Amino acid sequence: MLLLQQIINGLALGGIYSLIAIGWTVVFGIVGLINWTHGEVFMIGAFVGYFLITSFKVSFFVALFGAMIAGGLTAYLLNHFAYRSLRTGPKLALFITALGASTFLRNLAALLWEPHSRAYPPTLDFSVQTFTFGGSALTVNTLQIFIFAVTLFIMAFLQWFITRTMMGKAMLAASQDLEVVSLMGVEVDGLINITFWVSGILGGAAGVLVGVLYAINPYMGALAGLKGWAVAVLGGVGSISGAMVAGLLLGVAENISSSYISSGYRDAIAFVIMIITLIVKPTGLMGFKFEEKV
Amino acid sequence: MRKAVIFSLVVLAVTFIDSLDLTADYIFSSYMKHILFVSLAYSVLTLSLNIVSGFIGQVSLGHAAFFGLGGYVSALLTQVYHAPFWPSFLLAGIIAALVGIPLGAPALRIRGPFLVVVTYGFGEVFKYIAINLDITGGPAGLPGLITPSIAGLSFSSIGVSGKEVFIVIMLIMALFLAFYMRQIGESRVGHAFAAIREDEIAAAAMGVNVAYHKLLAFVIGAFFAGLTGSLFVHYLSFISPDMLGSNESIMILTMVVVGGTLSITGSFVGAFLLTILPEGLRYLKDIVGLSYDPWLVLFGLLLVIMMRVKPQGILGVDTIFRR
Repeated sequence: MLLLQQIINGLALGGIYSLIAIGWTVVFGIVGLINWTHGEVFMIGAFVGYFLITSFKVSFFVALFGAMIAGGLTAYLLNHFAYRSLRTGPKLALFITALGASTFLRNLAALLWEPHSRAYPPTLDFSVQTFTFGGSALTVNTLQIFIFAVTLFIMAFLQWFITRTMMGKAMLAASQDLEVVSLMGVEVDGLINITFWVSGILGGAAGVLVGVLYAINPYMGALAGLKGWAVAVLGGVGSISGAMVAGLLLGVAENISSSYISSGYRDAIAFVIMIITLIVKPTGLMGFKFEEKV
Repeated sequence: MRKAVIFSLVVLAVTFIDSLDLTADYIFSSYMKHILFVSLAYSVLTLSLNIVSGFIGQVSLGHAAFFGLGGYVSALLTQVYHAPFWPSFLLAGIIAALVGIPLGAPALRIRGPFLVVVTYGFGEVFKYIAINLDITGGPAGLPGLITPSIAGLSFSSIGVSGKEVFIVIMLIMALFLAFYMRQIGESRVGHAFAAIREDEIAAAAMGVNVAYHKLLAFVIGAFFAGLTGSLFVHYLSFISPDMLGSNESIMILTMVVVGGTLSITGSFVGAFLLTILPEGLRYLKDIVGLSYDPWLVLFGLLLVIMMRVKPQGILGVDTIFRR
């Protein structure tokens, strides 16, 4: 029963991990960039949502929408000013650029918004329900269920966008071979801009959803971004559906490990899972194989 | 060779000039010597990472794990088991080198961006272990480590500030590693490293043992990082899990890239530049009276600009195959 309880507790966080991981995976799949700034996009989303709710007293959904736009815009600007000119350059330079941009944004945020933690004001009504199930009690927080539902809705919308619209299909094709897609008449720069928008929108949404559940601070992006990457690897890099499943798995795995092993190792689980995945099955759960060409 | 001699003379002059009682204290104060020691320590770390990330081209974001591991090994041996410093110092390097094998092993299967995150993950896991174990003192770390002694004389009793011997030993290590790397570069092993860096598949087809050379690079790099870690924690007489963390690893990799991968002089430039700059900015901040430290914001911005203007680093050379 404790196990079932931990699974329920892990789902909401897992859904958020999925959102972050999809943001990672689309950019890596298409541009081939380790998007180290994704955690910062997520953090900016959380703060924009926070300020919309506290200063402008908007409702939760308006704040979520605003944060998604802010996240998308941040990712777009990052691509425009930092990554675009280096895309054909050495990979190491691109990666160091991403590290630098991430350090810049994180510390600028700490400077502007002060490095202490803040909590979202209660904007949503929620209650803690207790069910008796087979003789033992299960507590379910309706807020977690709500968050989980929102992430599922966003992911369903994304799935529709990817598989049903021309733009999404172009993205899917580009993640397999950008060069061939460009030969087919797709404008590559535009496609990459859209990719960064999609990535940023998902990151911003994840920021607000985390903010509703936990406290936020300017340094929150570092760990969240890396967990997103770990989830993306577990699901198979470049695979969107893989990232969805893997995010839920990690959320549940973290909750189970903190109640069965030790809560001190909670954050290390993601990295252990990632390392084992890469060594045992580098393509992840649902990824396709990257063949190295001679 | 000439560069090395001039460099050592300058370092030694800064270290020992106040022993002669010629200048006012504040010019070559204890603080200056601290910066000098830290710069030299980072030079060794940068050089040792340059073997892995420059010579053989395996980008690693877990280098601080070896640094911290060496520190913890030496700290625990001297504090818990009351071992003398010098054997602990050597053992710190050897254990770090041994751990370099499993840490380098993923590089045999995993390439490019995936290797970056795996090494990063290893570093983070090490940090969580150090935070959660009782013997390592948890998040607070281990304070009060012994000061090493040489021929019965404690390091702190030699020289004006007690930092002089540490600086000299670190200088010797840095120079030794620099010359050793020059030797490697011109040897059979160095050519194998270069072949693997430029094209792994072609190198393997030519009969270069890729697995052996990759592990060798990791082991050499880890050994020197471990030694540095040991000397560094005894210099501070304190160790905390932050030493293992990703911020350190990122800083060391940045030093390699800013100085220029493959360039030995570049590693020194990168390490000194990125150690002295934040200290200088802090000084400037006190003069101007800013309420915050602008270093990290500027550092990020500088990196982005630098990679745009000169992606191969200050003293780096563009390789034939831009990857």
